[in-house]
Amino acid sequence: MTEINITVEDIPATTQNQAVKLAKFQGQLDESNVDEKSKIIYGLIEQNPKNLYLLFDFEELEYMNSKAVGYLTDWYGKIAEAQGKIVIAKAKSNILDILQVVGLTQLINTYPTLDEAKFALLHDVAAH
Amino acid sequence: METPTPENKPVKITITLPTNAYFMSGIRDFTLSLIRNMTEFSEQWAFRFQSVVDELCNNAIEHGTAPGDDIKITFISNPHESIEILVEDKNNGTNKTTAEQLKQLIDERRKPNYIHKGIRGRGLSKIVAEWTDELEFKDIENNGILVRVKKNLNDPKLKEMAQSSADPSHLVLN
Repeated sequence: MTEINITVEDIPATTQNQAVKLAKFQGQLDESNVDEKSKIIYGLIEQNPKNLYLLFDFEELEYMNSKAVGYLTDWYGKIAEAQGKIVIAKAKSNILDILQVVGLTQLINTYPTLDEAKFALLHDVAAH
Repeated sequence: METPTPENKPVKITITLPTNAYFMSGIRDFTLSLIRNMTEFSEQWAFRFQSVVDELCNNAIEHGTAPGDDIKITFISNPHESIEILVEDKNNGTNKTTAEQLKQLIDERRKPNYIHKGIRGRGLSKIVAEWTDELEFKDIENNGILVRVKKNLNDPKLKEMAQSSADPSHLVLN
């Protein structure tokens, strides 16, 4: 199985009743591992059925296949429907290229730095 | 016609692969290395072909081949001109299909108003079709399927195709 690690930590938020999380991806998401590893994010969604705000740190994500894109789209749909949000930070150029060609950058904002992504996410949290 | 010299002779590399996603990481690395070192395509395109090859092979493994069988990947580098990638499966997997059916499926998914709903289904229509100039599906001997893609180095607008514009399985993307 190709190596991929997904670690999740809390981001302190100023508003109650909202879960703000940082999910860091390290490695490659491909056919050998994406089905299994996607359960980590689905678990977060299940544990936080409303107002889940997710920051995906893609700095060390080296590859994602079209099924990973499918999962990302599904997560976006579920989270957005439940008044939450996903943002992506520090994606490598090849990852951004993939996200752009499939049209996901029209749905999910991407930011070059973690700080910008956090600001955008927390600004959105505060607005709600 | 230019006489082939060692410098402009096409380079062809064929790899036979068992139907196991475990091996795809190595194939992706090989594709990156091949495009970087043996062609004049940019770094961006090296990564794009990495995705193209991965998607073609995943499709062949998942849909086109029975467990324990092989798929075949062929890279043809035409120096200063283009790269072609061919993926061949035996079409004996869970979803037997024909070249024409595959082409129609991709055509459908490429329509502007088509909405992708599931987890799957974006690989050929969104990634492979967008990042290649030609995408061809062919029925081959023993009911197998061959998928051929080509990307021109200078990405010229394709002139009228001399070959088989009437071929229903040959989709030309401008």
